Amino acid sequence: MFALPPAQVDYDRQIQPILSDRCYLCHGPDVKNRQADLRFDLEASAKHIAIVPGKPNDSEFIRRIISQDPDLHMPPADSNLALTPSEIELLKQWIAQGAPWQQHWAFVRPKQIPVPAVSNKGWPHNPIDHFILARLEQEGWTPAAETTRERLIRRVTFDLTGLPPTLKQMDDFLADKSPEGYLRVVDRLLQSDSYGERMASAWLDTARYSDTYGYQVDRDRYVWPWRDWVVRALNRNMPYDTFITQQLAGDLLPDATADQILATTFNRLHPQKVEGGSTPEEFRIEYVADRTQTFGTAFLGLTLECCRCHEHKYDPLSQADYYQFSAFFDNIDEAGLYSYFTSSVPTPTLLLTQEGQQAKITNGKEAILATQHQLQQIARERRAAFESWRRTVPGGDSNNGLIPGRIALMDFEKLIEGANQSVAGPIGRAVKLSGDDGIGLQVGNFHRSEPFSVALWMNLPDVKQRAVVFHRSRAWTDAASRGYQLLIEEGRLSASLIHFWPGNAIRIRTNRPVPINQWLHVTLTYDGSSRANGLQLFLDGKPIPCTVVRDHLNKNITGGGGDNITIGERFRDHGLTDGLVDEFQVFHRRLTTLEVAQLHDRKSLNEAIEADSITVERGDQLYEYYLNTSDPEYMACLKNLQTLRDSVNQIQDEVREIMVMRELDEPHPTYLLQRGAYDARGEQVTAKTPEFLPAFPQDAPRNRLGLAQWLTHDEHPLTARVAVNRFWQMMFGQGLVRTPEDFGRQGEPPTHANLLDYLAYDFTTHNWNVKRLLRQMVTSATYRQSSRVRASQAMDKAPRSDPENRLLSRMASYRLPAEMLRDNVLATSGLLSRQLGGPPAKPYELEVSFKPVKRDQGTGLYRRSLYTYWKRTGPAPVMMTLDASKRDVCRVRRERTSTPLQAFVLMNSPQFVEATRVLGERLLKQYGDDRESLFTDLFRILTSRRPTAQERQILINLHEQQIDYFTRYPDRATQYLKTGDALADRDIDPTKLAAIAAVTNTLIVFDEAVMKR
Amino acid sequence: MNRLCTGNDLTGALTRRQILSRFGMGLGSIALANLMGTAKVQADAGLFKQAHHEPRAKRVIFLFQAGAPSQIDLLDHKPYLNEKQGTQLPDEVRGDQRLTGMSGNQSSLPLVGSPFHFQQHGQSGAWISDLLPHTAKIADELCFIKSMVTSAINHGPGVTFMQTGSQFPGRPSMGAWLDYGLGTDNDNLPAFVVLVTKDKGGQPLVSRLWGSGFLPSQHQGVRLRAGENPVLYLNNPVGITANNKRQMLDALHKLHQLQIKTHSDPQIEAQIAQHELAFRMQSSIPAATDLSTEPEYTFKAYGEEARQPGTYAANCLLARRLAERGVRFIQLYHQGWDQHGNLPTQIPVQCGETDQASAALILDLKQRGLLDETLVIWGGEFGRTNYCQGKLTGNNFGRDHHPRCFSLWMAGGGIQGGMSYGETDPFGYNVIENPVPIHDLQATIMHLLGIDHERLTYKYQGRRFRLTDVHGQVIQNILG
Repeated sequence: MFALPPAQVDYDRQIQPILSDRCYLCHGPDVKNRQADLRFDLEASAKHIAIVPGKPNDSEFIRRIISQDPDLHMPPADSNLALTPSEIELLKQWIAQGAPWQQHWAFVRPKQIPVPAVSNKGWPHNPIDHFILARLEQEGWTPAAETTRERLIRRVTFDLTGLPPTLKQMDDFLADKSPEGYLRVVDRLLQSDSYGERMASAWLDTARYSDTYGYQVDRDRYVWPWRDWVVRALNRNMPYDTFITQQLAGDLLPDATADQILATTFNRLHPQKVEGGSTPEEFRIEYVADRTQTFGTAFLGLTLECCRCHEHKYDPLSQADYYQFSAFFDNIDEAGLYSYFTSSVPTPTLLLTQEGQQAKITNGKEAILATQHQLQQIARERRAAFESWRRTVPGGDSNNGLIPGRIALMDFEKLIEGANQSVAGPIGRAVKLSGDDGIGLQVGNFHRSEPFSVALWMNLPDVKQRAVVFHRSRAWTDAASRGYQLLIEEGRLSASLIHFWPGNAIRIRTNRPVPINQWLHVTLTYDGSSRANGLQLFLDGKPIPCTVVRDHLNKNITGGGGDNITIGERFRDHGLTDGLVDEFQVFHRRLTTLEVAQLHDRKSLNEAIEADSITVERGDQLYEYYLNTSDPEYMACLKNLQTLRDSVNQIQDEVREIMVMRELDEPHPTYLLQRGAYDARGEQVTAKTPEFLPAFPQDAPRNRLGLAQWLTHDEHPLTARVAVNRFWQMMFGQGLVRTPEDFGRQGEPPTHANLLDYLAYDFTTHNWNVKRLLRQMVTSATYRQSSRVRASQAMDKAPRSDPENRLLSRMASYRLPAEMLRDNVLATSGLLSRQLGGPPAKPYELEVSFKPVKRDQGTGLYRRSLYTYWKRTGPAPVMMTLDASKRDVCRVRRERTSTPLQAFVLMNSPQFVEATRVLGERLLKQYGDDRESLFTDLFRILTSRRPTAQERQILINLHEQQIDYFTRYPDRATQYLKTGDALADRDIDPTKLAAIAAVTNTLIVFDEAVMKR
Repeated sequence: MNRLCTGNDLTGALTRRQILSRFGMGLGSIALANLMGTAKVQADAGLFKQAHHEPRAKRVIFLFQAGAPSQIDLLDHKPYLNEKQGTQLPDEVRGDQRLTGMSGNQSSLPLVGSPFHFQQHGQSGAWISDLLPHTAKIADELCFIKSMVTSAINHGPGVTFMQTGSQFPGRPSMGAWLDYGLGTDNDNLPAFVVLVTKDKGGQPLVSRLWGSGFLPSQHQGVRLRAGENPVLYLNNPVGITANNKRQMLDALHKLHQLQIKTHSDPQIEAQIAQHELAFRMQSSIPAATDLSTEPEYTFKAYGEEARQPGTYAANCLLARRLAERGVRFIQLYHQGWDQHGNLPTQIPVQCGETDQASAALILDLKQRGLLDETLVIWGGEFGRTNYCQGKLTGNNFGRDHHPRCFSLWMAGGGIQGGMSYGETDPFGYNVIENPVPIHDLQATIMHLLGIDHERLTYKYQGRRFRLTDVHGQVIQNILG
């Protein structure tokens, strides 16, 4: 930290960080850890005994920290914490000055800050510079000179677009000497499409974006339309408050558009699990936690994860606060595991219809509605035909003739092998199920447009919490139950058709448990409508009252394997252990009420047909039976309805789905979880924000939309500061708060608190205009400074006293981020594809990643790194070597490291070798043997400045060596030119081309080509 | 940048930042610390100026058997299970243990004893399955821990827990922690190397297992690949030789020198050093990975398959060569131990691939005088159930995941050989003596390397993280 302590000790910047870091652990917000009922996070508690303002020597606090007695000394030895002598001195000084106390800076709303006056009035370009210069002048330092125009255009072009300036752009700028020249460049860059791509690449780290699910199995997933949404939003300069509102809660906006709902994919980008045998709830809770913590890091700059298991040790956040936050993110219909056996998209989802698809679906649905009306119309008109049918219908005692459409019957009369047993049943023999041995049928692979019915006798031995009666599916959680099924759940019958459980399914469940230890006749009928009211359950021939559990099915129920019905058992599910089953029948149509009654009592239908007079109710049932089995007009219309449904379903099945947020109608209960463990539920909590932050807006709904309103409210102390800080970090290398992930008490205090507040206030009062904010930054004199370290100037103490350049007495310099390094060689070579958005690209490096994938051919090799396919368990290795974020969890800062492995990537990898060769080839074609012009341009293209004569000579000498070498070994030249898919121009002498390529390959790792200077 | 290990300021060790600022280097160079030889002090010391206490081992070789080998069929002899073959796992033995979704809903959980014969070996009389004849021969070098306990029941979380101290992604792996704390003993090789048996399949491994989490990324493990390019793009492009690479670097060096003349900047010096080290590594890495110079008797000891790059045997041999060259943490992975079914036919294959080379490595290290300073660990992420998953038939069965007990062995640096530690009940289901949670194992490994696991911390998001979270106790009784 800083050498010269100012005369007045600053509590916020100097004292509170020490108290927090060394004392709060046992004397802070956490009740459980608290010792001696003493708190240093509260002024009253601290000053009650420990601190006597003005009197350090009378303060127990000071006595303890300087005590030599191990029993008294603070912090205690076993804490592994200690205070340095200078820190102790500072604490004494602070108490001597009266121990002034302040609330933590970041928890107080930023005020409008007046722009400070400076002595050097000529330097500032805008208010930013006043704040920077005022601080420098306080130290008696001067800012650095303005950097060269070459460096300036290079710097700003990379910062705003992630790409280098072209020769023409440089020449135009150098020719335009007017004071507005630079502003014109900035405006041009802010208007370019590349701007959105550059800004999006940082947001993908925050959003932990990945093209795969992560964890262990790590399959591909379809989320890139969200990435394109981000690029579009940034390029349109969507106000930042709208940008975060749509991502948090676009689905909850009034009349939300598909695009607004798509924005909420942000919340679903966390890793997801599929590993067999995992506990779904454990991972569902993990997803909710990830969403909550990402929200905390990305928008609040708070370390919410610290209070997942216990009270926060440093910030005034309780464990309840954590779970109250998490309640906002808990309320969607999702599964803890995605589907292993199918490619269903985890719910909730949005159907991303392509052009034309939506119209077809809408038209199809209208046609279905019309046909349904027609069906009702026919039903009203066919009474006469019914009466004549009644007169001619033959009686009979055979079910077969009366109930058409049966495609399977299992009567269990034959001997049974294996662990299942043959026992007496209601009709002859029945089966007693082991629960581990399923009984397979040869039928049952129905589409959801096909009506069907299943009937059986069963006898339950006990009240089962969960058991499979029958199903058509590959598996339970491992296939998200895709198919259909009849289960026992908490003693009740539960019937479902499922694409992906729970969010894309229909399910009904009986209101009461069904009796045990007696034979029951159960029938399930389905009408092909994909709606819950198209499902009906019958017990002993009568409809049984049911509750709709889910009513949202818009994708197929076939596929995944397990194509036929199985009785009594399912892969990794609870079987119907010791349950009895008999007379299992499957019908390829929806049975009518009277038919179901007949299956149960074997007489209702016979009697109704044969009776001379029947009740009105029976008469209606018989009419329904007639329409469905014997009326040609009605049956034709029914057939037509099925065809229409099938064609709409087919279109809908083709539409791609993407994971989004959709609020449940009935809020999902959220619990405080003790120790953060998914199975240790404490009290139930509701969606709330912590008390130390501004109140929840009164008129705001208690959901994610309300949360977004709270977050973007003028009163909020964190949102704008956190955002401004991250934009500052993108332009200046480090934030004004150098711990962008932590604005709490353990974070670093801002280097320029007033500037941060000024910018935050200015940002919110100017409609959260991001481009305007960035324009302020890059047009400031601060940004335009040279980055050179002025070590030789004896008068200038800045570099030595401020090695980390906290006061910005020069511009920061650091290696360009991974994406820019790669995009740079693609852009300068001319290979770069300018396609905006689309599916992920698979460049060369992916075939040598830890999880190799087949690389692309053609354009996919040359797209901006933003689009590089991201696989969590084996991320793009070149990007990783160059310090890209892994994107497992939300990260708002990258570490910058320097290892030899980076040299290998930059000098030897095909992407870089190929691109440098292509660049060399272009220049060779342009300049031939004019080496001076060639190397001047090459140097300019890669560094944005002209080489000195000496520098150019070094390149020329290297070139001569390489000409010699490749002349001696022409084969090696040919080999060298083969790297990459781009073909070398055959009209050029391979020796010459290889020599130029080697020089280019060298210059690409030159300091000024890889560093932001 | 984080404030590194503030708490240690007064305890004698210097933070890396302090070291660097004393040598007049800026922030950008901190990152160079391990792989670079720019300032010798870093190669010597890592984060600490000296270890917390006298180290017993200088390095670790972790022979990770991924997928979870069945302790019941290899190291934890349970004849009682053979007596109880086919009977139900008693409820009172299972207690409240959660089961995986794979066997958790089975109607029955029949016990199954090991079909493999066990014998006692060495002076210690360790019971070892006949599936591991070579391991049996070195029994007196090994310390068998039979009471390992974890809380993970699936592979992803299980392996992640073993390697990072947390079941969920995001934390640094053990090797990264040690690299961060201790630095490297060899300027020309990475300090943390990962070797994965080639083409094994089975439960997938993920690169985060050797990741650096929130530690700076130069601490992440470097996976050596079998074949031409042991390190990503190590080799020059085809057609470019070391000679013209030298010329290229010399020219680069001249350009950088010109810059330094006009303004000195440690970041440029760092780049020069980076390229020079890279150049040296282009020969030092192939020299380490080239097994062709090994004498015949080496291959006799490790097995013929050690000649084939990427096999477990070759990787064990490579581990010894890396240990000789001062690599700090050598992490092997061998997949395929996940015997949910067909255990009687599959597990002998796994043993055949690993037994001889594992034992040969121990003997080889011993012969070279390296065993005393090299800690070797053999084991997986959890155990396997004493009951059958799926159908128990006459000669076939499988075992599901089991977190409550499993076995592993340790040998070498600071470990007492020829002993067993901990015990399970006759059912082989619960630990009845000296349970060893994962964090205790990790604390012990750190301890042997001279590190107090409670004091190797890294501050991230306001909190001091450590490998062992808020747990971990050194297992004193197994220290030699």
